[in-house]
Amino acid sequence: MKPIEHANTSVELIKQKKKGRKLTKIEASYHLMLLPGMIFLFIFSYIPMFGIIMAFQDYIPAKGMLGSEFVGFEHFVYMFSLPDIGQIFSNTIVIALGKIVLGTLMAIIFSILLNEVRLKLLKKSIQTVVYLPHFLSWVVLASVVVNMFNLDGTVNQILTYLGFEKLNFLGSNKLFQPLIIGTDVWKEFGFNSIVYLAAITAIDPGLHEAASIDGASWWKRVWHITLPGMLPIILLLAILSLPNILNAGFDQIYNLYSPMVYETGDILDTYVYRIGLLGREYSFGTAVGLFKSLIGLILILSANNAAKKYTDRKLF
Amino acid sequence: MVQNKTFSGRLGKVIIYTIVILLGLICLLPLWNIVAISFSSSEAVAANAVGLTPVNFTTKAYMMIMEDGQFWRSFSISIQRVVLSLIINMILIVLMAYPLSKSKRNFRGRNIYMNLIIFAMLFNGGMIPTYLVVKNLDLLNTIWSLVLPGAVQIFSIILVMNFFIGVPKSLEEAAIMDGANPWQVLFKVYIPISLPALATVALFSIVGNWNDFFSGLIYMTKVSNYPLMTYIQSLSIDIQDMLKAGANSSQLENIMEVSNRNLNAAKIVISTIPLLLIYPILQKYFITGIVVGSVKE
Amino acid sequence: MKRNSLFKRITMLSMASIMTFSLVACVEKEPSNAADSVSENGEKVIKMGRVTSANPKLPEGDTYEDNAYTRLVEEKLGAKIENAFEGEGEDYTRQVALAISSGELPDMMRVDSREELKELVENDLIADLTDVYDKNASDYIKGIYDSYDGRSLEDASFDGRLMAIPATIGDEAPNMIWIRKDWTEKLGLEIDRDGDRLITLDELEKTAKAFIENDPGETGNPIGIPLAYWLNSGSYGGSALNMTSIAGIFNAYPRFWLEDENGNITNGSITEGTKQALGVLSDWYKEGILDPQFGTRTWDDIMALITNGQTGIVTGPWHIPDWGLSTVREMDKNAVFEAYALEDPNGKVNVAHTNPTGAFIVVRKDYEHPELAIEILNLFYDELANSKDLATDYPEVAEYKELGVDGSTRPFNIEVLKSDNLLFDYSNIMGAVNGEIEMEEIASSEARDAATSIMKYNENPAGADTADWSKYHSRVKGMGLIDKLTKEDKFNWVTPVYFGNTETLEKKGANLLKLEEEDFIKIVTGARPLDYFDTFVSNWKSQGGDEIIAEIEAILAEEE
Repeated sequence: MKPIEHANTSVELIKQKKKGRKLTKIEASYHLMLLPGMIFLFIFSYIPMFGIIMAFQDYIPAKGMLGSEFVGFEHFVYMFSLPDIGQIFSNTIVIALGKIVLGTLMAIIFSILLNEVRLKLLKKSIQTVVYLPHFLSWVVLASVVVNMFNLDGTVNQILTYLGFEKLNFLGSNKLFQPLIIGTDVWKEFGFNSIVYLAAITAIDPGLHEAASIDGASWWKRVWHITLPGMLPIILLLAILSLPNILNAGFDQIYNLYSPMVYETGDILDTYVYRIGLLGREYSFGTAVGLFKSLIGLILILSANNAAKKYTDRKLF
Repeated sequence: MVQNKTFSGRLGKVIIYTIVILLGLICLLPLWNIVAISFSSSEAVAANAVGLTPVNFTTKAYMMIMEDGQFWRSFSISIQRVVLSLIINMILIVLMAYPLSKSKRNFRGRNIYMNLIIFAMLFNGGMIPTYLVVKNLDLLNTIWSLVLPGAVQIFSIILVMNFFIGVPKSLEEAAIMDGANPWQVLFKVYIPISLPALATVALFSIVGNWNDFFSGLIYMTKVSNYPLMTYIQSLSIDIQDMLKAGANSSQLENIMEVSNRNLNAAKIVISTIPLLLIYPILQKYFITGIVVGSVKE
Repeated sequence: MKRNSLFKRITMLSMASIMTFSLVACVEKEPSNAADSVSENGEKVIKMGRVTSANPKLPEGDTYEDNAYTRLVEEKLGAKIENAFEGEGEDYTRQVALAISSGELPDMMRVDSREELKELVENDLIADLTDVYDKNASDYIKGIYDSYDGRSLEDASFDGRLMAIPATIGDEAPNMIWIRKDWTEKLGLEIDRDGDRLITLDELEKTAKAFIENDPGETGNPIGIPLAYWLNSGSYGGSALNMTSIAGIFNAYPRFWLEDENGNITNGSITEGTKQALGVLSDWYKEGILDPQFGTRTWDDIMALITNGQTGIVTGPWHIPDWGLSTVREMDKNAVFEAYALEDPNGKVNVAHTNPTGAFIVVRKDYEHPELAIEILNLFYDELANSKDLATDYPEVAEYKELGVDGSTRPFNIEVLKSDNLLFDYSNIMGAVNGEIEMEEIASSEARDAATSIMKYNENPAGADTADWSKYHSRVKGMGLIDKLTKEDKFNWVTPVYFGNTETLEKKGANLLKLEEEDFIKIVTGARPLDYFDTFVSNWKSQGGDEIIAEIEAILAEEE
């Protein structure tokens, strides 16, 4: 047995070596296709990466990067020794996760429902309307949200009409995070559903026809055909949004928060921003950014490996 | 397709339509409120008196904007930027997604490229280094400073790459047997099939470039070169910050004149109109139903 | 295989990093500026960093780079101004940082803090202006800076050398109480019986209660006294909707660095007086005098309360009618305000001096014509400011004044005025209004405009323009109050010992502010009892306050 195995493997090796030597014509085309993009990436992404040094320096613009003092991990130590840092991280992650999970759910549900709408005019107009809030900046939307959710606002008016007590959405540490998550989901679900809709249209209608001929109900078809068909995209988007686990949404929170809700509403970025207002924040901001990138890298790699293990497919 | 004509089928339809319309309404209403604000008088707006209909109807805000030459200059700069970016983005997306969608066996080095790209997506040097690069390339105050740094849209590339992976191999094999080279396979086979995905990333490119205001702030040193969103943002001063920092009275007076809410509302309405027009144009690409199977490696 | 690809990855990354790191030297240049300080016509060129404003009201065709003021510089000084960059607020600060980091400073630019100035001085990037100033500055200009007891020039000096041109800020205290006069008259309320424009805390409370009970604004939802959630700011000019005047009653000055009775440095926010003031506010909150939504109500919403008539009491500086109260008049033609100051038990108004220096104009180290900076200073802040006949001497500038073009369009977007400029303007304005002096005697065009507005308002109060109404209120009521209190010696001035940053303040200041804002709100809304203030104080000290105080003491000791 053994000699034959050896013979086989050495033949394999020779074949592999042969492949290893020649750059096929096809592969050459592939390299060529990637070339322009890689040049851009090199110039505008990789070269600026040298600036990551600033995270380890006490960067002062006048001294430049070569002249600024090297301080090692001081900024990271400082970040972790801030009095409320545990709370800040917890707020950031809770809010970010809430947005990702609920946002994805909402977008998926909406895309499935909208797909069922047959009236073309209605479908088109709803689609256009629903992706609009994405374009409005939080500076603008904040005043709308405040009008709706403050103590005299529409939502509380409805609550009192129905006999409930008023809720202090903007001032209560219990309600602020749900408010942030909820309003962000509302703002983004329409835009996010675009990708899911594209995925749904890519599913073979034949599968649906066959299933309904077999007597499957609408719900069964959704569960067994539509959702599995969307699964790759859902997974992909979920994994790609993982690096954002520490980006809980500076613009939104900055425009809606106040000291009353700092406890649950202060996130990493708003804190860093306020530090920047008093002192020059370039180094510290870079350090925080580097930290976020590292976390993002770890998360993406683990998620990719997990996806490979459980769904038999890598995403990249 | 809810085809059952049974009661539960029809009820299901009614429920679905109701939910969808409700969702549409709650997205529409705030924009409606903003439109109403833009047509109201500034005192009414300051008094929070505007709901869904304008109070003291006036087109003063829009007139002020029409007369503001810089608004229209910035508008055209943004249009230029979006068009140039769209072309460059789409070309690069398609060129990069295709080789990356090939397996490692067919394309050695694929993983290296993939790793480099993911790394670039996660790590960046920050504002100052990127600015220095742009400056040293002499791109400051040119339209290219708004277009080139964002030329490679990594998220979109990954998205399209995944769609490409789902294209049945049989189509490609058939084309190769007909003697097509990779470029032809890409343009004649993959692109026509992937129109929904391509329309999606085109939309992302347009929207992203239209909305970005930060690039204009750092790469344009003169207000006259600002793209639209940068210009609008520069006018929307947060009066709270000014007060906290301590401003003098004439500064505050002038700010109140331009930064008041109904003027801002009008600017937002005008700057959102192009986006409203884009989606209907791209919509037809979303409806292709060509078969792309579910995906397994 | 695995080891291979890991090795490959590491090699790739190291090669990439070596290449990119070696580019650092190429990309970061030494501060260098080509000798293009002479334009084609042989004019001198000044590359400037300009702080702009959102609404300059420039006539068609004029820009920040090319307007009446820049043309004046060209005409009188033979120098052409080119803008290296323009921006406002944060945007401008960012542009300055980017310019510095790329090693290309403009020839002249504004910096807004002494810390930035220090950075430039320590890295030898700006020019020493001592000699140029001594030789070229006009006597009038020197007189302006002298009126601040030398503090201005000191702020701009390092080791006895003048490194920048300081901008001046006059005092704008007190934080006044503006009350709807038409409402107090409607309800027959008697405030300020002795007419000295001073009211006590008691009178204020009574007025607020009366407004709540009777709802003179007829909105169905009256609010007593609204306050902004940040409660305090570092200056009186920005003290709209702040508690500054209430703190003043207890001789407290939150956010200011002061010397206490024992000669130690402390911060007004942790003093006993502030605690008492917070006690007043929390009582008000309990009684419903203070806005029940205090803490979450946004700035816009509070302004809405004032505009739509839900409240008739506002705290703010003398100029709040110009930008904050005008909408009230638009909504209600009958609205008139009276301005009062809160008096302490001794009948005095306790106020603190502000930082006399706001911003600085710096000149790049090797710029060939530093004297141009002083010449521009003279031209704008002496000749133009004192010109009695703008229309003849400087016709284009006169036209700008007519159009209301914003002062930010001048090359140096700063003010350089004598310390008593406010009162000086006031006496001129009232002099013209009362016919005691001729309009042409007044040098300042803003003062002339204000006087004209007031006279128009006086002719027909009910039917006057909103702009005239605002000017009347800010000058006659606002400035007038300051003038009256000064003349009657009702002010009790305190001088803060330090303005600016320290190392720890930069690091921990944001957190201390957060602590202060959070805890003050908790105390006022009753989430914490008043004695929690003592916990706040000890937290404040241990979380950086003590360190900062020590640093300030060290800095002050050095300077003696």
